Amino acid sequence: MNIPSHQQTMKCHGVTRRSFLADTGMGFTGLALGSILFRDGVVRADPHGQAWEPPNGQPHFKPRAKSVIWIFLCGGVSHLESFDVKPELNKYAGKSIEDTPYASVLATEGKDVIGANPRHGNRKTIMPLQTGFKHYGKCGLVVGDWFRNIGECADDLAVVRSLWTIHNDHGAQLTWQTGRHPRELSHPTLGSWVSYGLGSVNQNLPEYVVLGVPTGDCCGGNFTFGAAYLGPEHGGVRLNTNAEKPLPFIAPPPGTITREEQLENLTLLGKLNHLAGIDYPDDNELRARIQSYELAFQMQSSVPETLELHREPEFIRNLYGMDRDETKAFGEQCLVARRLVERGVRFVQIFHGGGGGGAWDAHSEIKSNHTSLAGQVDKPIAGLLKDLKQRGMLNDTLVVFGTEFGRSPGAEGTGRDHHPQAFCAWLAGGGVQGGVQYGQTDELGFHAADKRRYVTDIHATVLHQLGLQSHRLEIPGRKRLDMDHGSVIRDIVGWERE
Amino acid sequence: MFTKGTGSWLTCRVFTHFQWVGPASLGFSLFLVATIVVPITRLHATPANRAAFNAHYERFLSPNLNQCSTCHLPGDHQDPQTLEEFPHNAFGHRLKILGDELKSTGTRPDLESRLNLVADEDSDGDGVDNQTEILLGFHPGHSKSVPTKVELESLKEKQSEFSKFQNAYRWRPFNSVQRPDVPTVVDKAWPANPIDHFIAAKHKEHGLQPRDEAPRETLLRRVYLDLIGLPPTPDEQDEFISDQSDQAYEKIVERLLEDPRHGERWGRHWMDVWRYSDWAGWTDGNQVRDSQRHIWRWRDWIVESLNADKGYDRMLVDMLAADEQTPLDTNALRATGFLVRNYKMLSREQWMEDTIKHTSQAFLGVTMGCAKCHDHMTDPISQADYYRMRAIFDPHQVRTDRVPGEIDRTRDGLVRVFDTLTNNLTPILIRGDERYPDTNRLMTAGVPVALCGDTSLAASQGDLKSQTIALPFPSTQPDRRDFVRHDLLAVSQAEVEKARKTLAHLSDEKTPAEGQLTESQLNLELAEAKYASLSAVLRVEEIEDAGKKDSEQWIEAAKEANQRQRMVARAEARLDRHNVQSEVHVLQAKLDKWIAAHSGAPEESPEETSELKAIRGQMDKTRNDLEKLEQKLSEANERLAKADLELESEPSIEFKRRSMDSYPGESTGRRLAFARWLVDPKNPLTARVAMNHVWLRHFGRGLVPTPADFGRNGRPPSHPELLDWLAAEFMSRQWSFKEMHRLMVTSRTYRMASTPDERNASFDPDNVFLWRMSSRRLEAEAVRDGLFYAAGNLDLTMGGPEIDHKLGLESRRRSLYLRLAAEKEVEFLRIFDGPMVTECYERRSSVMPQQALALVNSSLVQREAAQLAERLTDVYGNDDQGFIREAYQRVLARLPEQEEIGLCTEFLGLPASETRALDSDSSLLDRRRNLVLVLFNHNDFVTVR
Repeated sequence: MNIPSHQQTMKCHGVTRRSFLADTGMGFTGLALGSILFRDGVVRADPHGQAWEPPNGQPHFKPRAKSVIWIFLCGGVSHLESFDVKPELNKYAGKSIEDTPYASVLATEGKDVIGANPRHGNRKTIMPLQTGFKHYGKCGLVVGDWFRNIGECADDLAVVRSLWTIHNDHGAQLTWQTGRHPRELSHPTLGSWVSYGLGSVNQNLPEYVVLGVPTGDCCGGNFTFGAAYLGPEHGGVRLNTNAEKPLPFIAPPPGTITREEQLENLTLLGKLNHLAGIDYPDDNELRARIQSYELAFQMQSSVPETLELHREPEFIRNLYGMDRDETKAFGEQCLVARRLVERGVRFVQIFHGGGGGGAWDAHSEIKSNHTSLAGQVDKPIAGLLKDLKQRGMLNDTLVVFGTEFGRSPGAEGTGRDHHPQAFCAWLAGGGVQGGVQYGQTDELGFHAADKRRYVTDIHATVLHQLGLQSHRLEIPGRKRLDMDHGSVIRDIVGWERE
Repeated sequence: MFTKGTGSWLTCRVFTHFQWVGPASLGFSLFLVATIVVPITRLHATPANRAAFNAHYERFLSPNLNQCSTCHLPGDHQDPQTLEEFPHNAFGHRLKILGDELKSTGTRPDLESRLNLVADEDSDGDGVDNQTEILLGFHPGHSKSVPTKVELESLKEKQSEFSKFQNAYRWRPFNSVQRPDVPTVVDKAWPANPIDHFIAAKHKEHGLQPRDEAPRETLLRRVYLDLIGLPPTPDEQDEFISDQSDQAYEKIVERLLEDPRHGERWGRHWMDVWRYSDWAGWTDGNQVRDSQRHIWRWRDWIVESLNADKGYDRMLVDMLAADEQTPLDTNALRATGFLVRNYKMLSREQWMEDTIKHTSQAFLGVTMGCAKCHDHMTDPISQADYYRMRAIFDPHQVRTDRVPGEIDRTRDGLVRVFDTLTNNLTPILIRGDERYPDTNRLMTAGVPVALCGDTSLAASQGDLKSQTIALPFPSTQPDRRDFVRHDLLAVSQAEVEKARKTLAHLSDEKTPAEGQLTESQLNLELAEAKYASLSAVLRVEEIEDAGKKDSEQWIEAAKEANQRQRMVARAEARLDRHNVQSEVHVLQAKLDKWIAAHSGAPEESPEETSELKAIRGQMDKTRNDLEKLEQKLSEANERLAKADLELESEPSIEFKRRSMDSYPGESTGRRLAFARWLVDPKNPLTARVAMNHVWLRHFGRGLVPTPADFGRNGRPPSHPELLDWLAAEFMSRQWSFKEMHRLMVTSRTYRMASTPDERNASFDPDNVFLWRMSSRRLEAEAVRDGLFYAAGNLDLTMGGPEIDHKLGLESRRRSLYLRLAAEKEVEFLRIFDGPMVTECYERRSSVMPQQALALVNSSLVQREAAQLAERLTDVYGNDDQGFIREAYQRVLARLPEQEEIGLCTEFLGLPASETRALDSDSSLLDRRRNLVLVLFNHNDFVTVR
């Protein structure tokens, strides 16, 4: 922590009336001021202790990625049949795990799980793979047939196969976002730390945007894109892909006020605020408020503009699967994500299968469940990767594909149960190495075995690519644990910070 | 001279402690293991003694003495673990011996008093006393380290500075409050009350010049919003501005403190601190997972208690232990909502953790969570302390008692706590992990010794010595209260009436279906039997309540009850048989019809149509069902015969009692003992923490800037004497909040202008020393309430069940009555930094575009702006100036300046928007509505100056 110099603490004072008026402009002028103005820009001096400074919007070291697209599949995707395929399951299909050479996995079944839900787990009869699999790319990544299109992008993916989490119910959806056990409720999500640490590069759109239907109330609800103690300005802003009604209060109730009137109102508002502010030339909040009205006014048009997907050429829309019923909805979200990132949004969080425990929660009929759901996302996600790549945007856009936990190697009737002991995720772009497979589960995919990684290690890696060091994102009065910070997965990053 | 082996603190491993000091995140044992292995960085290697040594000498301690070797001999051990491996030198040894001596005489052996005691001694025998050596930077425990004569000459100055430092007021939040003297001031005219003396003393110390009193309209709006959460009306503004009397402002303050809206305003503040939350759960499943239904009764208790100025001490005891102190006082029982709120369906562990964490943070300003897993050398709270605190709460549970007029407890009820007698043991959890309780270490209820101050618990090392409390009868069986009986009878009576009506209705019909009529008659018979049976059972209970159990009268009544219950059984059996019989008839008729229709069809014919096949299938199924039904019918007949027989048999006293919840006849008394310790005037923290919260909300910044942390991780106060004085004053005024509010808002300090001053700002840019009043943004609730209030639409109804959060833009009730729970909150309020239900010891105030959108576009703002414009137009007609003046008064609580009137008039005169074809009347209204809208968005609307 730095002790602020005298100059720093003085920067907001000694402003004369004239310079204040010049700084903030008269009326609605559309000054292009940095997002820094919307933060608490004042250095808080403490008469006794050390001073603390909020982040200044600058990365801590040279970043590789500018933006993140954080795709989250709700309910628990089978790792066994997606990106951590286990052929041994076919070999021992129908047998009890106890009767295989891997019986030892059962000894430590519950060791990672806190506050376990006894209804889940203890599935011993091995279920064979419910889909085929194939090698893809130069790296030879094995991918289940449900994800053929993403498989084609194998050489851009860094798959992390040794993840585990701490809760064996869908509250783990919240854990994926915050790193904390769901019973600890709201903690800042990764997106909110990014917003807090870096702010926006765009003056017309929010820094952290949420697409799709989020996790249900049972499992984290609004907390899954909340900012907790970082404050609501760092929380995710939910956008519907519907350009008519993308977020609350984005437009006045129909028939009440025209855009022309709004502009007139804002002009008067600017003048009145300046008059009233003359006596308070050091009031940062007033400056920030004047600016926030300008951003709000811009958002009324910039947000709907971003959502006007009909402006995209047909071959692009088709690339995202928007030409087919099953892929249209998710394809739209992926395309909107690209358009948001293009316009400078830092963090786009896309939910698939949200609401309740999550659509991917295949306790029964996993074959039809995963076939149908993968059919909705496989093409759009692959389309997103290909589109980002052809535009050169994949270099500084990090795409992350995740879920809350894996599914059990043992059968639960025709389905698979929750499985927090092992699951996988992948990262692509944003300086992450492609064609890499990191960590291993055991032969049955039961435990994360080699190079075990916890959820927040993914967070740390994402922050690292953005040039942020988790330990430097602190806020006074809030104690963060080692588990909150995680550690960077250097092997997939493949570079040391400069 | 003393270099070899002089370990830096980094190598003093004997003192190092582990870095993991997180709040209790239970049982993440893996992380614990991971971090415990890691040796600690220099920054964290701060043992308690070193911290105390540093605090004692502070800036007078030279860096070469800020080392292990000040008290220890240089050791050979790379990694000393015990005192034997790292022995004391003469100075350290003396301190150690003195500590032991003090302990044996029962005196607190804190390092500070020991250092004072040895100051004039010469531990190393080199002819120079310890304090002199330390002040001059020489080792007090090493005879070869001696100052020269020349060096000794510089002592005098240092000595006098040091004694000045030592005599300065020290912040000792863990010592009982001692009332400090009120400082004298030079400018006798400035202070209005003692608060100002303390503030003025700091002004002088820091060379600050206080601002003048705020303009009257600014002051009036400030104090209105502060005390009742609403601005003054135009009439109230005019009245105050024209009141030239000396006491004009004080009169306003009195009026506002007596205003019932004051309790709502400050109630919301305390709801923040006490973590009010309506129930939450799975929205669709209606499953209560967090907090409880009907917790709004606690909210109403808070508001009522503040309005009645009940006294903080009494409030705390009620919130923690009303069920033990006044078990029959249903009004007081509401207060235990404070504990109820922590209910967690999914995890008792988390429930207990939240209870301990937030009880200690809210009332004591201490974070206890760190001690859940293990001791920390710098923390005054040990792991054992944590589980002693937990033992206070382990026995308690929540329940819902009935309230008059409602039998269904999901619809209404009094939710409260009580002690079970089954959960009295509190083991230490190894590393805080609920999976590994250490059953050899069971804790008794107690509080941390470090927080005991001079309370009587200091002598018992924090042990609460609680006494079991016997609970009076209705609190053990609340359903035996008269009103419950009365309500049950009323509900039963209503059933009879309903059945009677249905029957009458059927009888009136021209051709009532026979079966229906019989069913209806049987229903009525059953309802009547039930009513009679209930009355009979209640009669027995009444005889018992009068203490006449087993009397002759009782035997008669019991027999009657038994007979009535037999009649219910028979009525049920008759109805049941009738219903089964009707079903039989229906199926039989269906079958007969099919048989009649298809009797000619050839069996198993190859041309059999698929339709026929289907019908045959259905017939088979129906025959099957019919067989089963006939079995059921014969069972029903048997039951009826049995019931008839039963009715004829010998009367018996074996009646069935009502099913009723029954609760233990005693309570552990732990919470009551704890609460009484909390409000002991010798408790070091309770009053200080409360006064800091009150100050924070009047002045925008706590005297201690971390209101929920007065411990080592918190930050020290800007005005320690003032906070101690306020705490002492608060207690001597019977813990009256209103008295303290009055003192604070009538102080000169509070009445200062908030305008800046360059000279002051150069010394104190953050206004820590209050040379002016700080500007603040209004809280979410005040923004929303203010919109309705300005337009004359705010509904001032008080209390009652929470209002659906989805009605946040429509409901005209004050915002504190809208539902607030995890995942259930009013979006408009959240956008303006409304309270987080998980914890909210201090509100934030952010500035973000969503706020602008909400104030520009929400239907709420649009509607209220239109209505205010219409109302004012009704009064002022075409008079633009009159309209502008009152709109300013209503929305911003002040009159417009000339320049503002000019801008607004010009705005009203703008040509109507071309995109809307309007007549002149609606065009006028339109412009005016837009003007009001602009004022609602004015920075001054959301800002308190």
